[in-house]
Amino acid sequence: MSESLVNFLQVSVAGFLTLCIFSFLYKDNPFYRLAEHIYAGLSAGYYVGLIWHAVILQQLWMPITRDGEYTLLIPGIMGVLLFTRLTEKLSYVSRVSIAFVMGNTAGISIMQQLHGYVLPQTGDTISGLLGAGSWFATLGAWIIFVGVISTLIYFYFSKEHRGIFGATARVGIVFIMISFGAHFGYTVMGRVSLLIGRIRFLMFDCVDSFKHLIN
Amino acid sequence: MASRFLRIITNIDRRVIYAAVSLSVVAPLIFKFPMPISISPETVTLYERVEAIPDSSTIILTFDYYPSTLAETEPMSIAALNQCWRKDLKIITLSTVGLGGPSIADRVMATMAEQFGKVYGVDYVNLGYKANYQAVLLGLGKSIRSIYPTDFYGTPLDSIPIMRGIDNYEGVEFIFIVSDNTIVDFWVGLVNAQYGTEMGAGVTAVMAPKFYAYVRADQLVGLLGGMKGAAEYEELVGAVGMATTGMGAQSMVHLMIIFFIIMGNIAYFIGRREK
Repeated sequence: MSESLVNFLQVSVAGFLTLCIFSFLYKDNPFYRLAEHIYAGLSAGYYVGLIWHAVILQQLWMPITRDGEYTLLIPGIMGVLLFTRLTEKLSYVSRVSIAFVMGNTAGISIMQQLHGYVLPQTGDTISGLLGAGSWFATLGAWIIFVGVISTLIYFYFSKEHRGIFGATARVGIVFIMISFGAHFGYTVMGRVSLLIGRIRFLMFDCVDSFKHLIN
Repeated sequence: MASRFLRIITNIDRRVIYAAVSLSVVAPLIFKFPMPISISPETVTLYERVEAIPDSSTIILTFDYYPSTLAETEPMSIAALNQCWRKDLKIITLSTVGLGGPSIADRVMATMAEQFGKVYGVDYVNLGYKANYQAVLLGLGKSIRSIYPTDFYGTPLDSIPIMRGIDNYEGVEFIFIVSDNTIVDFWVGLVNAQYGTEMGAGVTAVMAPKFYAYVRADQLVGLLGGMKGAAEYEELVGAVGMATTGMGAQSMVHLMIIFFIIMGNIAYFIGRREK
């Protein structure tokens, strides 16, 4: 089978499935459901294959059998213990593995959040207030400072939102709404970009592969 | 008159809107409307930082994205490669996304390498994917070989020329992240915060608003946001690509959406007055 024919078949299948998914915009139909089920099945199958090769074989089986890294038996056994959740009698054993995963993840996340987010962002929120290089940048620093404080107050529920406290919380709502608007605008742009990508694929890639096959 | 307008607007079939949006995408792609692109400061700082990297240095370029977001992310990778290989930088690629990431890296790198006459193993290497990104990012700071004993094709790293003398972030001048997910948080929080390696990111539009805070705090040197960011970078690099040509359609759809929002609001106020 020639390379151009293989390419044409690949692109044709992709193009057909894209149109199947788009057909939902008209109304629900069997073609849409076919494409949806193929997507779900393929993703699940791909992940199983990926985990088997990238984790079980590459990171567990081969290091143990080829390189003699027997310490990997410990996480291997802990992984197997997770399957005890499938039986009611032994499901409690899986808690050991879950506890390890939770502790490990929490430790890394706390470090990442504290050093990578909370401390640098707090520092940056305060640092420009007394002069950030230009009056415009300083004004920006003050706007961010007011936004952070008022939003934090809005999410403080141990005191009733009344008086100055309530007014500040309402300023916080304005900042939250602006943030939602920015996120929504960017989301629209993102989704339109994906549509452009698919339409470009249908208009150019599919046609090009057909031309290539004929020539 | 007003009630007729209200009746038309409130009874408009949603499929008419879908058709209008589709036409707004198709027409600019066929007739190729050139749209002026204003370049944001975050894009400029990223471009200038990469320009400042000494020629022939080694950088990491990540392919942390799924095939579903190729329209936004792939142009960023291509523009970045254009700039990097003009400077003859050595590139290590890797992916924290298993579903498609390494294959996309493989395809994009091979295509671009052919254009620039670059050789696998000498000018670039694809390390592929490893599960558990947190452990991977932290582990790379201690020893790349402990995380990736081999590359994507199973070749031991010690026998790949580009990897000689590089075994952690110290041998890497810069990290260029291209991502469609929150992995940027971990690159910044785990790698930049702990190892001090400088980095910049190109992300999908959905993710972009969150990451501007990192640029402000100098945790990222610059940021590309969605197709617009990719088009800006293409403009700076001087390599017009998929993002630039897509911006005509992007702008046309935005105008269409703004028009629908205005029409919807007019109908809402007319309806409220009539009640």
